[in-house]
Amino acid sequence: MKTLGRIWWIILLLFIVLYPPTLGGMSAYKSGIMIFVGIYIILAVSLDLLMGFAGQISVGHAAFFAIGAYVSGILTVKYGASPLVALIAGMALSGAVAWAVGRPLLALKEYYLAMATLALNEIIVTLIIGLQWLTGGASGLRDVPSFSVPGFSFDNHVHYYYLVWAMVLLVVASSLALVRSPFGRTLVAIHSDETAAKTFGIDCAAYKVRVYVFSAMYASLAGSLFAHYMGFLAPDDFGVLTSINILVMLYLGGIGTIWGPALGAVFLKLLPEFTYQFQDYELLLNGVILIVVLVFMPGGLFGILKSVAERVNARGSG
Amino acid sequence: MRKRLTIATVVACLFFLTGAVNTAQSQTKAPYKIGFIVPLTGYLSWLGEYMKKGAEVKVEMINKAGGVNGRPVELVTYDDQSSPEAATRHAQRLISRDGVVAIMGTGTAVVSGAVSSVANKSRVPAVIQSGYALTEKETFTFNNAHPTDFAISRPMLYFQKKGIKQVALLMPIGPLGELGSGIARKHAPTYKITIVGEEKFDVKAADVTAQLAKLRALNPQAIMAFTTGEPAALLARNMAQMGMNIPLVVSHGNATPGFLKLVAQTPTMVIVPSGKIMAIETLADNDPVKKVVAEFSRAYQAKYGEPANYYSGQQADAVALIAEALRVTKSEDPVKLRDALENIKNFAGCNGVYNMSPTDHQGTRTEDMILLTIKDGKWALLD
Amino acid sequence: MSELSTLVQFFFSGLTSGSVYALIAVSLVIVYKVSLLICFAQGEFFVIGALTMVTLTSKGLPMPLAFVLSVLISTVIGALVERILIRPIRNSSVGNLIVMTIAISLALRGSALLVWGKESHILQPFSAGKPLHVLGATLQPQVLWIIGITVVVLFVIWFFFERTTLGVAMRACAENRLGASLMGISTQKAALLSWAWGSGIGALAGMAVAPLLFMQYSSGLMPMVKGFIAMSIGGLASIAGAVVAGYLLGIVEAYTIGLISSQFADTIVFTLLIIVLIFKPSGLFGATRSREV
Repeated sequence: MKTLGRIWWIILLLFIVLYPPTLGGMSAYKSGIMIFVGIYIILAVSLDLLMGFAGQISVGHAAFFAIGAYVSGILTVKYGASPLVALIAGMALSGAVAWAVGRPLLALKEYYLAMATLALNEIIVTLIIGLQWLTGGASGLRDVPSFSVPGFSFDNHVHYYYLVWAMVLLVVASSLALVRSPFGRTLVAIHSDETAAKTFGIDCAAYKVRVYVFSAMYASLAGSLFAHYMGFLAPDDFGVLTSINILVMLYLGGIGTIWGPALGAVFLKLLPEFTYQFQDYELLLNGVILIVVLVFMPGGLFGILKSVAERVNARGSG
Repeated sequence: MRKRLTIATVVACLFFLTGAVNTAQSQTKAPYKIGFIVPLTGYLSWLGEYMKKGAEVKVEMINKAGGVNGRPVELVTYDDQSSPEAATRHAQRLISRDGVVAIMGTGTAVVSGAVSSVANKSRVPAVIQSGYALTEKETFTFNNAHPTDFAISRPMLYFQKKGIKQVALLMPIGPLGELGSGIARKHAPTYKITIVGEEKFDVKAADVTAQLAKLRALNPQAIMAFTTGEPAALLARNMAQMGMNIPLVVSHGNATPGFLKLVAQTPTMVIVPSGKIMAIETLADNDPVKKVVAEFSRAYQAKYGEPANYYSGQQADAVALIAEALRVTKSEDPVKLRDALENIKNFAGCNGVYNMSPTDHQGTRTEDMILLTIKDGKWALLD
Repeated sequence: MSELSTLVQFFFSGLTSGSVYALIAVSLVIVYKVSLLICFAQGEFFVIGALTMVTLTSKGLPMPLAFVLSVLISTVIGALVERILIRPIRNSSVGNLIVMTIAISLALRGSALLVWGKESHILQPFSAGKPLHVLGATLQPQVLWIIGITVVVLFVIWFFFERTTLGVAMRACAENRLGASLMGISTQKAALLSWAWGSGIGALAGMAVAPLLFMQYSSGLMPMVKGFIAMSIGGLASIAGAVVAGYLLGIVEAYTIGLISSQFADTIVFTLLIIVLIFKPSGLFGATRSREV
């Protein structure tokens, strides 16, 4: 897992800051695309912490996306809470749920863990639908207000774009710091050989639950950002299909690299902007493109970029 | 080989980034552009097909007659995949990049909600067609579909005439079920009907005889199930299997050839509320709707070789309403268009005669609906 | 109608859905048993099998012939998919392979959309007949066909894997790939065959079940998810376990709907699943290690 040279960070930052006034043309539509991209980057990165580093499969990560979105939605719409408070409440609840189910769930192996996380996702969604009086049920929750902090309301799309991307950078930077810290290195050790780690006296279960909690909280953050942007929530966007999409982003981009899943999110969210023109053929096209990437780029998109960067570096120093 | 592949990938990635953010197209060209968000894939794709065909025929009819204010009408169509998130993106693209004067479409309430949210934020008129219940805050949204209220009270009127007093509800888990249940309970007292019980079912289920057995014990004289398509057909089939010889009222979304095929062989008495377009021959000659549906049906049959149906007619109405607003205002200004839409009076469409107002963004009445049932594998007018 | 007939109807309702879940679970287990791969594309073979049969019968072919042809066609498609798309990346991580099967399912579903369109299709039941009446409750005869087919499939699988050289060789591959290849067994052929089996049975499941449902290009998702659940409850590599779990799942669902709540039936069933996984992690019948040490 390479460190990005400082020059790349600067280029990235410049691109993000300059996007709206230049390529984005200050339009709501173009800011909108990048807002969705940003939200899914946070989701993908949060899952990478769990799957790429701790090695725990989750096919139900949208559960925490849903908790964040609906806590933000319900508290602001029904109880007039401030969006900032609701966002924090959502993260707290997600973290609590992850902590509560984490220990028994993460003791399961691979496929069984996958099924358990899928079940958790379904439970959250069916509860959202069932508790209609609270969540608006399957018909959805309307009139979620714009995000605001005391003194400033993010009504404008471009302002919201900057908010979301500030969050993206925070999440990416903190995730990178996390995986390079002693905590992160212990996680990797647990991932590669749990038995050996145990003989060193490491409480593997505790570490796994901790990363699950972080992962859930980041996903919840993405959910809250999603709620205030859409203004309208429906359980359809939080089901197993969404969880599978996030999973695909991980593998597409290159699992276990933080940057990889971010790239995967960008690719998967921009792809429909290209294939929508093909109408009936869109589904087939998406599948074929995915297959091509998976067969020819086993390291994911990040793997490709890395080898390009290496070649450029080698050329330079050679 | 790998080198070429990696270069190709980098170029492709750049292409996506820039391709997805094409500079805004000019909207000063000749045609009036109408944004159209339809479920072309996903479980409602059959519905999207009808909507698309109906809209296209109506647009052709308008353009053949010289267009609106001398300009042709053009549809910009996107697939919402029955996802609110996708619909949101499409709506934003339609407004910002494609420069549409109005948006129409969406087949289901949750997708309508997402589009309505964008339309009202951007202050662009949206004419949707679904069970979505409008609130006063949504000043830019119109819904020309027959509301759920009509689709439920029309059969209840029939029940009252026939002396049916005990009705059970079997509602799908999802927005249709929630809508249907709430509205049925609201209207039941008006028609002296008692709701004896309610069960829910999963629209993807293979069998609902468990729920039917529970309801049967309560001695209902009819069952109302506000559901569309295969689930409705499954209910009819299971009721026949269990020998339940009571009528089954389903949603008005079933007034389509596709549904007819699914239940043609099932003995259960299925009642489908619908628009008058499904029984043109029974309409009185002085019915203002007759001329409109007859003309539309002829054009539809000529183009597609099949008779027009309820949903295509409904979509044609949306096109006609927007075209009428454009004709009156001669402007693309969204606020003026919205005002014009609100002032449409006595406008005959396939779904009825529209009388809009600032407080009524729907326009038709319960009497604009008829009830259909199936006889000898064909639609027959029930009431 | 009496209380008893209602309770019996719940059972029959569960038997009906259970028969759908059980058969598709079998196809999932077969693929896993030999190639250790969870195939997310099984739902599509389910649909392809059913819709192929619809097309063939509508062209006038007699039902038994259409049945056999549909199975063959799906089997060939499954084998082709394995050979062209799975084999090249066979040594990737498990996650990569799973995502590949997801991509394949998208491509197959997209193709089904283009071939069969968006409408739903009806398949006639294998035997015309009135519903069966037992103790005041009713059951469609097609369910008996499905149960019968499931039994035959189980027997054929048992016979193949226990009594034929090829079958035993395939089992050896699953249990010890290196050892098997040292013994001269072609692991590649085994993987190919396991996919062929999986897609064939998946298609079979679709055809047998289609008369109960209304099939369209996207009808494969829900049965597949239920099949996965059955597989988890039954024990990943146990075929008999998958069958029993499938019927159990259907019956528990039906009784939950009938006796507790139809609104929250799914919530309850999924909660039960998590509880089963936590307390009986290798499934009700599985013996493989499924907990971390």
